[in-house]
Amino acid sequence: MMRAAAVALACGLALSLAASAAAPTCNLVPGWTAQGKVRSYTQDNLFEYMDGNAEGYLLYGFQTMEGVTCEKGGATLVIDISDFGDSDSAYGMFSATHDPGQPMVKIGMGGQIVPRRALLVKGKYYAEIAANPEGDYSSTLREWTAAIEKTLDGSSDPPAALAWFPAEKQQTLRLVPESVLGIGILKRGYVAQYEAGKAFVVEEESVASATALMGKLRARFAGSSPAAVGDDGFQATDQYLGKLCIFRKGKYVAGYGNLADGQDGIALATALAARIR
Amino acid sequence: MNRESSRRNFLAAGLVLPAVASASRTSGQSPQAATPLSQPAPPTKSSAPVFQYRTLGKTGLKVTSLGFGCMITSDGSVITRAADMGITYFDTARSYSGGNNERMVGAALKGKRNQITLSTKTEGRDKEEALQQIDKSLSELGTDHVDIWYLHAKSKPEDVTDELIEAQQIAKKAGKIRFAGVSTHSGQKELLPWLAKNPNVDVILTTYNFTMEPFMNDVIAEAAQAGKGIVCMKVMAGGTRGRGASPAISEKLHRDGALTSALKWVLRNPQIGTTVPSMTDMDQLDANLKAMTQPFAAPDEKILAMHLERITPFYCRLCGECAGQCRQGLPVQDVLRFATYAEGYGQFALGRERYLELHPSHVQAKCGDCPNCTVNCPYGVKVAREMARAQEMFA
Repeated sequence: MMRAAAVALACGLALSLAASAAAPTCNLVPGWTAQGKVRSYTQDNLFEYMDGNAEGYLLYGFQTMEGVTCEKGGATLVIDISDFGDSDSAYGMFSATHDPGQPMVKIGMGGQIVPRRALLVKGKYYAEIAANPEGDYSSTLREWTAAIEKTLDGSSDPPAALAWFPAEKQQTLRLVPESVLGIGILKRGYVAQYEAGKAFVVEEESVASATALMGKLRARFAGSSPAAVGDDGFQATDQYLGKLCIFRKGKYVAGYGNLADGQDGIALATALAARIR
Repeated sequence: MNRESSRRNFLAAGLVLPAVASASRTSGQSPQAATPLSQPAPPTKSSAPVFQYRTLGKTGLKVTSLGFGCMITSDGSVITRAADMGITYFDTARSYSGGNNERMVGAALKGKRNQITLSTKTEGRDKEEALQQIDKSLSELGTDHVDIWYLHAKSKPEDVTDELIEAQQIAKKAGKIRFAGVSTHSGQKELLPWLAKNPNVDVILTTYNFTMEPFMNDVIAEAAQAGKGIVCMKVMAGGTRGRGASPAISEKLHRDGALTSALKWVLRNPQIGTTVPSMTDMDQLDANLKAMTQPFAAPDEKILAMHLERITPFYCRLCGECAGQCRQGLPVQDVLRFATYAEGYGQFALGRERYLELHPSHVQAKCGDCPNCTVNCPYGVKVAREMARAQEMFA
């Protein structure tokens, strides 16, 4: 009992230290001063800070947020760093909120800086900076993201799955936290949107559960026909997901949907299967 | 009547609504239902949904009672399918997914704009920012106007500033929006009557579900009678994610079918124009369509009552009603929140850290030593017991 309590306390202390490690401070960049108190939120009270927006964070496994507002010469930066529990989820949040129409910057696992907003993801942390009032704060935001990046523990390597998706004509690539392709049984996975069609990869817990999932998908798409892709595959047509080619490779279930006429689903799926490791 | 029993009555109030609701549906059905000849044909398949149509106050907008909250939808195909199946109300916001949600909704509803009622929201803090946001929203949604544009997440009258109202009027005159709305997640007791009297507000989007206090029916009725369209969100009481929802609660709500019961509970209030539950997949869409066509019945009441009983003893809704009630001056809401960090989310260290930051006299206080606790939670949380538990846990 006492041992369990000691372990719990140790874990607690570790959690506490981890949380404080991500707390931003205004003196990270010279000349900035804190305006108001440090903000702290959990799953339980994130609504107090962003009612109407919190679900989007919770969906990606949001754990805690530490934030501060910094001021310098009439400009303010609202800086929030969120802990998403693991790097996949943190990257997922970034992938859902960055603007795919704007360039990315190479910082941490990924970043984006636009005139009044900066995003950064590193390890399990996702950082956001909003600048006010109206103006172009790009250089300031670059300085801040660089400073924040140094304070965050964790890997700067993007999730390996990103490299599995062909880059050509790719428009977006993001982690979908539930219901991939709008199908509840495809619980969580990466989806790449292309000029025509979209590719997805879902990781199941085991080969057995992936095999069972394939059975359910076959049942869902009536009139499917076998396809020699990966360990097991099929093609089908759906009113909303168009021409589909879905396959299993080990514990991964992946494939393409909404393919245009003339696109060879089997060839695309075969190429995708070859990249999944 | 104590507040706990009054809230149970709020839940039970659903039982006296069917006749009124049916009457409302008859008078407020689809435009096609105006004459017997133009009534929609009965569904040819048993699975085809029979939609209820209602009017959003004086706007005259006729919408399906089941709308679609697009906030967390990842795949546009679910939205497209919902529109194809006959859902006519879709809601998004500029801030959802950093603006990506509006883009996805616009793509999903491409070619269907004239069949649907589309709303979005702004969190702009002043007129200029709000007006910039509506232009961006229209661009991302791929339309020249939205039907309703909400000022998002307001909780008190002061939040609905004159310049934000002015921004809505400017957008209206420019044809960028048809109607002006305000969305609110809290503070409805004061805010809704104020909005009801505000001639510039056409539609109110509010949290409304079976866990809320009875006054909600009154303030919604007041607003509806003033001609405001009433749109409801959080209708499933944060069942899957949201205020107070934990994975365990979510799983149980799913298992018991409580989510559809919660939706049915809201839909049977005839003052409600439409609802915007979040949907991420086709199965949720089908379940909600089914709920829309079924009456709220005794089994639903039983399921919801069971969940109220289950969540009431410990579920602090952070309403703030307990502030100032403790004779020892303890910040009850804070202590219960810290306990939730520890027990609800496994963040013991965080909970204890926050607890120890309280005033030393509050940290040392022991509720067990204080007879006849004076704190009365409107939601029935057993405050003295939960406080004592938190004090013991963090000691």
